[in-house]
Amino acid sequence: MRRRGFLGRFMTTGMALSGTAALPTPLTAQEAQAQRANLPTRFTPAAYANPPSKFNPFATPDYYTYADDLAIERNQPGKPHQGKVLAAIQAHSDDIPLFAGGLVAKLVDEGYTGYLIRISNDESAGRTLGHGVVQNEIDNQEVARALGCKKAFSFYYRNHRMDDCAEIEIRARLIFLFRVLQVTTIVAMDPYNHYDENPDHLVAGRAAEAACWMAGGPKDYPEHYKAGLKPARIREKYYHARSPQGHNLVNRIVDISSYIDHKTRGNVANQGKGPAGSSGSRLRDELSKRGKRLPLLGNDHDTADFQYVKHFLMDDWRILGEKFGLGYGEAFRYIGPAPDYRGNISRYVDQHSVPL
Amino acid sequence: MNRTENFRSPLLGTAMARADMGDTVVETDRPGQPHRGKVFAAVHAHLDDVPRYAAGLCAKLIREGYTGYLIRTTNDEKCGGQSTAQNILRNEQEHFKVAAAIGCKDVFELYYQNHEMDAVSSLDIRGRLIFLFRFLKVDTVISFSPWGPGEENPDHWVTGRVVEEAAWMSGMPNDFPEHMEAEIQVHSVGERYYFHAQPGQAFNRVIDIGSHIEKKIASLVECRSQGGGNLGSLLRARLANEGKRLPLLGNDDRTADREYVRQFLLDDEREYAQAHNLAFAERFYYIDQRQLAKSKVDEYVEKNVVPL
Repeated sequence: MRRRGFLGRFMTTGMALSGTAALPTPLTAQEAQAQRANLPTRFTPAAYANPPSKFNPFATPDYYTYADDLAIERNQPGKPHQGKVLAAIQAHSDDIPLFAGGLVAKLVDEGYTGYLIRISNDESAGRTLGHGVVQNEIDNQEVARALGCKKAFSFYYRNHRMDDCAEIEIRARLIFLFRVLQVTTIVAMDPYNHYDENPDHLVAGRAAEAACWMAGGPKDYPEHYKAGLKPARIREKYYHARSPQGHNLVNRIVDISSYIDHKTRGNVANQGKGPAGSSGSRLRDELSKRGKRLPLLGNDHDTADFQYVKHFLMDDWRILGEKFGLGYGEAFRYIGPAPDYRGNISRYVDQHSVPL
Repeated sequence: MNRTENFRSPLLGTAMARADMGDTVVETDRPGQPHRGKVFAAVHAHLDDVPRYAAGLCAKLIREGYTGYLIRTTNDEKCGGQSTAQNILRNEQEHFKVAAAIGCKDVFELYYQNHEMDAVSSLDIRGRLIFLFRFLKVDTVISFSPWGPGEENPDHWVTGRVVEEAAWMSGMPNDFPEHMEAEIQVHSVGERYYFHAQPGQAFNRVIDIGSHIEKKIASLVECRSQGGGNLGSLLRARLANEGKRLPLLGNDDRTADREYVRQFLLDDEREYAQAHNLAFAERFYYIDQRQLAKSKVDEYVEKNVVPL
């Protein structure tokens, strides 16, 4: 069966990346699902549905397309990323916590210096526009803290209106930050996120992708160099999907089992919007008024908020992880360092040159 | 009414704190280096803009203590009579020579597409100028008038507009706060000199550039791709082919270019000067937005405050 061929390639090539390991067990959940589908047997599925927990409106997308070199990135001992700098770029204060909070916490724990960059002002969430902006500003700082980032930045472009912003300016600001912070790795919204209804996501993803490339160039914004900045060489990119409409190419599953509590706290920090924040304590208060209690929510607001998020809102990442034999997982389109083309050619020349 | 004034007070005095309305002021040379420590950015769209409209002012301010920077916003690809690529290179090379002739410390090039700046994101240009104004700690800008009529070249008014916006925003901490991450602090631009580039454009300041005319000529002759810097030597060569010579043009190309500029390309500067009994002058619309040493509130409190 073609599917088995696909999985075979998947398992053999998954070992290629350092610090990663191939999928240890077959994708039983996917195969089971495929058997339920009406897809005739002569077709090989091109995309795999993600069964949702139905607890969280913003979780794993509807479909993933898995590359045949998919790898699982597991915890690495020690601080292998010491000296490297991570920029996690999000349009809104809840994007990174929802879709990549585990990865960011993991990379920081493994030695990265992390920065969180928010592009919008999140004005579309809140009691009034003013209250929303202030609360989300605070939330962004708190998210950064929960995930272990050193500092948070905000560009404050108008929420839901970023397709009306000059993308070139957003890109320029990211280039500046990449250079001044000497960023080596980014985590951002996939710029090719199919079916995304929020323009802010696509603009943020596109600006980040272009900035990565140009930040290393000598001719883009050369005035930065006169001010003492250095080119930034972005060597690694993790693009995350956005639910629920997404259909994303995935080539890396990150084991976030050890960081699910960090991710949970990053989401609890989003008080101004999103499905998390203080939803647990509000539910606890509401039940209390009706003379009831949910043991899951514990005896105080902090516990209620944490447990609510972990139990309900993180469940989609548990389901995703389970498919790969993990406790919790996050999915990414990972782009790694470019090969050392010149070095490879030099080595070839050294090996094959003969006397005249 | 025109008024001639040699500024004796370094801060002009409170009565002159805003000179953007009213009488025309004639600014003559000031002794010593009263502007020592101050920085100007002359921002033009094309190679020959500052030489034509403001090289005398720039040379004067540098002589009086300013550190000057020259910023060109376009790539000048449309001018030079060669291929588009060769035009870009030639204008780039000549721009460095123009800056050196005026005495500027450094040159910045933004390379936006010539004649097409009205299609460029003004936010991007403005952001870059804000960065430069902060990084260089620019106190004074010299550029096109953002509101001057008669500008058929979109590069001119786009450049003027973004300069004006950037001069204001560079002093505001919530615009591009990430600059502080590189220890580049907010910096307010206090003074603006806008070119009088076309008939009908407003001006309120006439600059006596008589003692700086040689530097202006030196900058103009470097504008060979555009601006007529080599017209003297071209004329001399043509006449030589015809078996003639014009004594005005001297015996070498350098002299020919300089004397051609002096004789034929400085009529406006002579005309602007004539009404004020000067030899050469440039006109500007000057705006002074420096903070007063004492505000009206400070003065009121000082006069009226009483013990509790």
